[in-house]
Amino acid sequence: MQGDFLQLLKEQGYQLGTSASVRDGQELTSGTTILAMKYRDGVLVAGDRRATAGNMVMYDRTDKVLELDRHSVLAIAGVPATAYEMVRVLEHSFKYYRRTQLQELSFEGKLRAVSKLLKDNVAAALAGTGAVVPIFAGYDLDQGTAKIFFYDILGAEFEGVEYAVSGSGSPTIRGILHYLNSWGAQPLGELSEEDAVIQALRLLTCAAEFDSATGGVNREANLYPVVKFITKAGVRVAPETTLKPLFDAKVSRHV
Amino acid sequence: MYEEPYRWVEAVGNRRQYLDEQFKQGSPVVALSYADGILLLTVSRGTPKLYEIYDRLGLGGMGHPADLEKLRFSLLEMAHVEGFNRSPSDVTGARLLKNGLAPIIKQAFEEIYKAPFIVKILLAEVGFKPEKDTFLTINYDGTFEETAGWAVVAATPAVEQDMSAYLKHETGLVSASLPRAVGSALQAWAVGSLAQQRAEAEEDHDATQSDHQQPSPSTPDTAALFAHLRETVAEKTVECAVMERGAPGPSKYRALKADELGRLLPSEMKG
Repeated sequence: MQGDFLQLLKEQGYQLGTSASVRDGQELTSGTTILAMKYRDGVLVAGDRRATAGNMVMYDRTDKVLELDRHSVLAIAGVPATAYEMVRVLEHSFKYYRRTQLQELSFEGKLRAVSKLLKDNVAAALAGTGAVVPIFAGYDLDQGTAKIFFYDILGAEFEGVEYAVSGSGSPTIRGILHYLNSWGAQPLGELSEEDAVIQALRLLTCAAEFDSATGGVNREANLYPVVKFITKAGVRVAPETTLKPLFDAKVSRHV
Repeated sequence: MYEEPYRWVEAVGNRRQYLDEQFKQGSPVVALSYADGILLLTVSRGTPKLYEIYDRLGLGGMGHPADLEKLRFSLLEMAHVEGFNRSPSDVTGARLLKNGLAPIIKQAFEEIYKAPFIVKILLAEVGFKPEKDTFLTINYDGTFEETAGWAVVAATPAVEQDMSAYLKHETGLVSASLPRAVGSALQAWAVGSLAQQRAEAEEDHDATQSDHQQPSPSTPDTAALFAHLRETVAEKTVECAVMERGAPGPSKYRALKADELGRLLPSEMKG
């Protein structure tokens, strides 16, 4: 079928995850916390900034919330090399489709593209060299709503109605999100942008408290989580100048 | 029989004649740098002639729609594979056109047992800085040209010269606002369209006279240009796209929608 960039790459001999024959069942922990939650204007996606290898902190300024196009992002947990490669493939796939077919790839089409990549990657994921468990969030312009989807490493997609989490720090905050959404002052979907940011910062701080592989806020280094909004107008990044005062006023006093 | 060299030369000559004939009714394409980036403009009937190729690359074409589609796909394929395998900044118009497209077009043109591509293509690339804007044009025989500031494709080189001369006359285009750029591009298009009409009329008139002169050098005045524009736009549509240097995100190409374009058209067109 025309307009399929991955197919084009494959014809040229490209292969996504090389199925390295590592011992079966080797567990590679994904040290990260990413979360996506709906709020009044769309969806907020946030992630900590730590990249780990075993017990080592590799890097403390990673961006795990990656823009695929103007209206969708992929937040990644798992092996970064594979995840970044997937993002690059997806980015080019969406662009290629739009430019060849002269229309935007549908939201469902984008979801399928993510699934397909994860399925292609199963061998590497099982070998322990390339497991990726992403969250896909975007604004469906046709239906006029924001949507959140999460995946397992085999490529099954599930719609996270109000929120989704992934990564090693996610068990800690999954329950909190459920609690907030069910019995909080207002459901997540009705939060204002500012309140949504406050909750996201608190949740990530919480995850960092109990998960060594999740990086918290480092105020001396002026290092805050990555927070992005996806609304009808497109993807927008929350600048440090927004995060810092909110963190100081609404998060740090409790820590 | 074409194996004999002079026969081959003759066949290629025939091909030129045949191809030149195909473009007579075509609509010229204009691309120019203005203050915020690059503007592409043509007047089309039904099938679009302006396309997005890559993050900073736009295409305008003349000729057979099926051929244009085929080459557009080749360009898209080359650009995206290169952009993925290396990086988006390695995808440049010059490389795509000179190394990618030109050999394909030239080969098709000279393989006289097969059909040539009936196309003339203009590639515009918006640079990170205004002085890095690049314009490339390629003819049906694979000859290409790289220019700065603006570029046009039209039925014949003579018509292209007329249009270029007009644009050269428009001073300060580089710092022009979008409405002014649209106005200039439209008038340049009208210069080309009128020159093509005139050339055809002359040909019909003195078909017997083999060495007829170049189209009259005096460019028509503004009023005549707008009269022609009003006439043509009544049955066709102005197609316009911009690549704005400051646009958010990596993709800079944006086709102007009818309502936005309507606001940008010079008032003389509406009267």
